Amino acid sequence: MTALLESSVGPAAPAGPTPGTAAGRRGRGWTVFLLLLPAALLVVAMFSYPLLVAAWRSFAYPELGTQNYAWFFDGATNIGVLLRTVWVAFLTTVICLAFAYPYAYLMVISGRRLKTLLLVLVMVPFWTSLMIRTFAWIILLQDNGLVNEGLGLFGIGPLPLMRNTTGVLIGMVQVLLPFMVLPLYNAMAGVDMRLMQAATSLGARPSTAFLKVFVPLAMPGVLSGSLLVFIQALGFYITPALLGSPTEMLVSQYIYAQVNGQLQWGRGSVLGVVLLVTVLVLLAAAAALGRAGRRRQGATAKREAA
Amino acid sequence: MRMTKNRGRAALALAAVGLLGLTACGGGAPSAEVDLGSGPAEAGTVKADALSGHTLTFASYGGIYQDGQMEAAGKPFGEESGATILSDGPMEYAKIQAQVESNNVTWDVVDMDSTWAAGQCGKNLQKLDYSIIDISNVPEELTSDCYVPAMQYANVVMYNTEKYGQNAPKTWADFFDVEKFPGKRAINGSDVGPVIEGALLADGVAEKDLYPLDVDRALKKLDTIKDQLIYWSTGAESQQMLETGEADMAVVWSGRAYSAVKNGAKYEPAWDTGVLVADVLGVPTNAKNPKASMAFINYYLGKEQQEKLTETTSYSPINTQSEPMIDDLAKKYLVSAPEIKDKLVVSDFTWWGENYPAALEKYLAWING
Repeated sequence: MTALLESSVGPAAPAGPTPGTAAGRRGRGWTVFLLLLPAALLVVAMFSYPLLVAAWRSFAYPELGTQNYAWFFDGATNIGVLLRTVWVAFLTTVICLAFAYPYAYLMVISGRRLKTLLLVLVMVPFWTSLMIRTFAWIILLQDNGLVNEGLGLFGIGPLPLMRNTTGVLIGMVQVLLPFMVLPLYNAMAGVDMRLMQAATSLGARPSTAFLKVFVPLAMPGVLSGSLLVFIQALGFYITPALLGSPTEMLVSQYIYAQVNGQLQWGRGSVLGVVLLVTVLVLLAAAAALGRAGRRRQGATAKREAA
Repeated sequence: MRMTKNRGRAALALAAVGLLGLTACGGGAPSAEVDLGSGPAEAGTVKADALSGHTLTFASYGGIYQDGQMEAAGKPFGEESGATILSDGPMEYAKIQAQVESNNVTWDVVDMDSTWAAGQCGKNLQKLDYSIIDISNVPEELTSDCYVPAMQYANVVMYNTEKYGQNAPKTWADFFDVEKFPGKRAINGSDVGPVIEGALLADGVAEKDLYPLDVDRALKKLDTIKDQLIYWSTGAESQQMLETGEADMAVVWSGRAYSAVKNGAKYEPAWDTGVLVADVLGVPTNAKNPKASMAFINYYLGKEQQEKLTETTSYSPINTQSEPMIDDLAKKYLVSAPEIKDKLVVSDFTWWGENYPAALEKYLAWING
């Protein structure tokens, strides 16, 4: 995952000034250590420790054993909730990408004033409270809400826009869109547009130049944006709880029901651990795919150069 | 050997003293100092300034309900007893358990659902001292060793009067009869509850044979109307479903039903489907000052406090002497009134307390199935 995220930042940062004497190097090592210490402590205390506790509880609550895992893999409901969560997160990612790609491209090719406006339009909802946005969606999407009344003028509807997966997707896409737009913009802004001109001057059609030159160069942005959106979507709670349906629970809601309704900390922990492992497996697969893609690209480039 | 043991003990004792000192600093004076006066307890009263310098934290479900509780009992209790009453929430079962298990209980009095509380006696809830709490005017079926009712309400089927008119559903059998009474039915989708009792009554189980509930049979009965069911997750959502007319029938809390009708929803309660339930008050195990907590509960149960609570929240009082001043519409939803109460099935808190987790598990699996 780090490799994937790093690759989006673009070319690796310069290594810095060459180190001086050996003593200087040692001194710098200490400085680096001290500078990293607060962040490392924070991560260990706020992230690693709770994670370990949850992992431990999945085996040790209410008593030592694997009964919580047995419970998880026993029930069709549990697997169904997990698959649904991954599916909803995947759909959210795809829809975000579909909206964000042309948007980020427009940001890159537009002039300064339009660019600022587009950026502000992305950031303003980002700075608004998640709760407020979700409640606003309820008002807009309900059966007699603004959207359905508007559609009613054209004789459509009312469409079931909330208390189902549609509502969850609408809410999640809106919330997560900035996390796709910004990495995409970052990657696209780093693409040298003269390369496209070079391609067209060598006889490529504009569409070919875009697909063969721009798209591959902007790919790291797609990957990191997709990862950011996908991972966050997997753990979303408020939006599915308010816009979704109890008949289509996601893992986060299910964890809440287990822990708060039934005091089954162990089962809640199992759900968390299984979700985490699922994410890690998916990320490993994505990383492998990315590596294979880069190798292929490198090979093609070499062949073409030869 | 002996020396070491003694030294160990001394160290332990020192540590214990230190801990005591810490608790004393954190939670006000130790409970032993609380003097609530002599003579039998009387609901709604507290000895003047008996709790000066003490701080109690009351946790409940928030919103107008908790505001009303503070207005009716929290604030006046603080004024009379001298205690500082803090209001916290929202109440979550997992938070109670986490506090009890870490032996760091910050909630002194907790408002809970009876179904959950009934399974927690001796676990997360401690036994109440009924020499401090006077329950002579509280319905016995709503109290237990570990809790007293905080208010009462009913789960009841509300039906759309414009849709059904003269041919209105009256019983649970009608709720399950989609041919005679077509239309969308809304039920609670995030929590298992009296719809189980309703399904069994509709399936022909006699009221006296309801408990122990056969959850599997109830879910099978619910299967027969599953394509007509819609689900609400929060009380606010259930009220909205009535106000927008989205549900033709809905099983809702009577307090929400009243609020919806007051806001103009054209619905009527079918009281024969009502199941009486209650919120309850209890004291977590390891609470810092249980005597003071119970003094608060005793005060909360008073006649006037309960009247005020009903006037501000529309939930029904649990002091049988209470005569709240409320409008005619609110009176129609007062489940403590004999003409309504006689029609209700009283939920068996004990059964629910013991079987709630398993029933919830089955219900959630059924809903997501």
